[in-house]
Amino acid sequence: MTDATSSVNVAAPPAGTRAAQLAAIEQSGWGLRFRFPQPHNLAFWVYVIGVGGGALSMFRYFGQGAGFYTPALTGGALLFGLYLVPWLLLLRHHNRYTAQPAGLLAAGFLWGGVAATFWIALPANGALLEIWAKLGGTSFAADWAAGLTAPINEEWGKALGLVLLIGLAPRLVRSAYDGFIIGAFIGLGFEVFEDVLYVYNGAAQLYGVDQFGTSLQMFVIRGASGIVSHALFSAIFCAGLMWVLGRTPGERDVVRGVLAMLAAMVFHFAWDDMGGLGGGGLWAAVLPFLIAAVELVALFHVLRLAARQERVWMRDLLAPEIGTGAVDPPLLDAVSGLRKERKAYRKHLRSRRGARHLVEGAGDLAHEIARAGGADSPGVVHARNELLRLRATP
Amino acid sequence: MAVRTQDPSGERVPVEHRFLGLDRRTFGVGFLVLGIALVLIYGLPALNAAIPWHNEIRAGDVLDLGDGATAVPPVGWQLEDGTLTTGAGTTPSTVHVELASGGAKVELRGTSYQGSAGGFLDQVGRSEGDDVPAVTGPRDTVTTAAGLVGVVESSTGPGGDGLDVAFKMATGPAEAVDAAPALLVRVRTAPGRFEDFRDEVAALLRSITPGDRR
Repeated sequence: MTDATSSVNVAAPPAGTRAAQLAAIEQSGWGLRFRFPQPHNLAFWVYVIGVGGGALSMFRYFGQGAGFYTPALTGGALLFGLYLVPWLLLLRHHNRYTAQPAGLLAAGFLWGGVAATFWIALPANGALLEIWAKLGGTSFAADWAAGLTAPINEEWGKALGLVLLIGLAPRLVRSAYDGFIIGAFIGLGFEVFEDVLYVYNGAAQLYGVDQFGTSLQMFVIRGASGIVSHALFSAIFCAGLMWVLGRTPGERDVVRGVLAMLAAMVFHFAWDDMGGLGGGGLWAAVLPFLIAAVELVALFHVLRLAARQERVWMRDLLAPEIGTGAVDPPLLDAVSGLRKERKAYRKHLRSRRGARHLVEGAGDLAHEIARAGGADSPGVVHARNELLRLRATP
Repeated sequence: MAVRTQDPSGERVPVEHRFLGLDRRTFGVGFLVLGIALVLIYGLPALNAAIPWHNEIRAGDVLDLGDGATAVPPVGWQLEDGTLTTGAGTTPSTVHVELASGGAKVELRGTSYQGSAGGFLDQVGRSEGDDVPAVTGPRDTVTTAAGLVGVVESSTGPGGDGLDVAFKMATGPAEAVDAAPALLVRVRTAPGRFEDFRDEVAALLRSITPGDRR
């Protein structure tokens, strides 16, 4: 049996790969901890004001009829709470490269759910919707006001959370992929809290008749459309914002960033003004599926582009491990590659399960190396030995 | 040679960056976010308040109440929400119309409700609680020119005068009426001003029609 804390004989890695490894640790911020209370940081106080103001506004909004509409609110909170579970599992899977700390992601979720929804969107949307009705007439507003309002107020309101998190964790939030993942969490928070708001409004629209039935109906409608809604818009928008800001050497691409942000706003517009765009008939029935398909293609394209930098970091972090025998070139290609490379690795090993374990083990080793700042910590030694054990297992 | 040291706790701000205990290097992000948020939260409502309404009801305009149901609004009032029959179209269970004139506001709100107009008005009362200080008058019946029968309830309070009228948007057998969508017409005026708008409100109520499709 291998002693998990014992070290293997490590040949000194070539100077170039070691330098690249240290640069990747420095640039990526992998392994750094997130500290939320930062009383010296103005971004912390703005965050507190935003979430505090949003919470106050939320309690005021629901407080008006909280007693009478308790069944709807309870049903909505319960159903959309459960709705979160598959989303969190999916986002956890996609958090495998960057592995943002849970506290940072929770802060993003809370900003999206409380501050962006109730502090910003509620008053801003009400005002802008009315402005469109005043400028274009009520018919124009009925067709287009929602789509001309939400993409501005809501996308920017959510993205402000990402900017604050950059202020709170400047070394942790660096790449477009960080923006993508944090944006998805902010959008998910917005989506879930907004859905509970819709449940409440739906029950109020029916003056409280069959409240649980209303919340169930709203859950089905909003839950299905939510697959291609706020989490997706914000992931694309925030990845775009990170490309514009260019916080990683060589990653700045203003044109790509602006295009991604505009794409998220156009998707949001199309989703909100489906009625105006569809104009009734067969086209109106087909349009939601068409828009959803386009959105998903765009999402995966942005995800792939955004992950490029993270994959480079993963490669740089693990390249010196070739010398230890824990990682070999095919595994390095698989762990820092795309689906194609992972598939090739499965074929190479002739074992789906074995390949999955080795790729996950290599990911663990990369994160331990980052956490240890490139040193041989007990965590690194353990992860390295785990890989060696897996490789020795037929 | 000056040697820069690092605070191991990361909590102490170098003196040259301190301002009122805050780290000045964080001001850029903080003020940027606060500025944009305040523009959205207070700037847009201020802009909205500065823009006047220009959706005046003209002679011949007809309100769309969904599925062919209509109402004729008073000429000269402002249409603040809802659509005319020449517009985008709406559905009876989600229709929302707001009309305003100096000192008066009329709201027409559609919903689905299984039961009578009186039962619907009871449900509206239950949903809003009975703690609003007002003197409520006895219920009465109102009949529109198209034969729709509604239940009307008036109220007077320190906040102003009010009139709530509940309709089921169908005529004929009780089963058809019970299954039809409901419409709540809510009139609110400044204290003691209801009389000034009585005729216009009465004309609006009389004009409500369930449409040909019901």
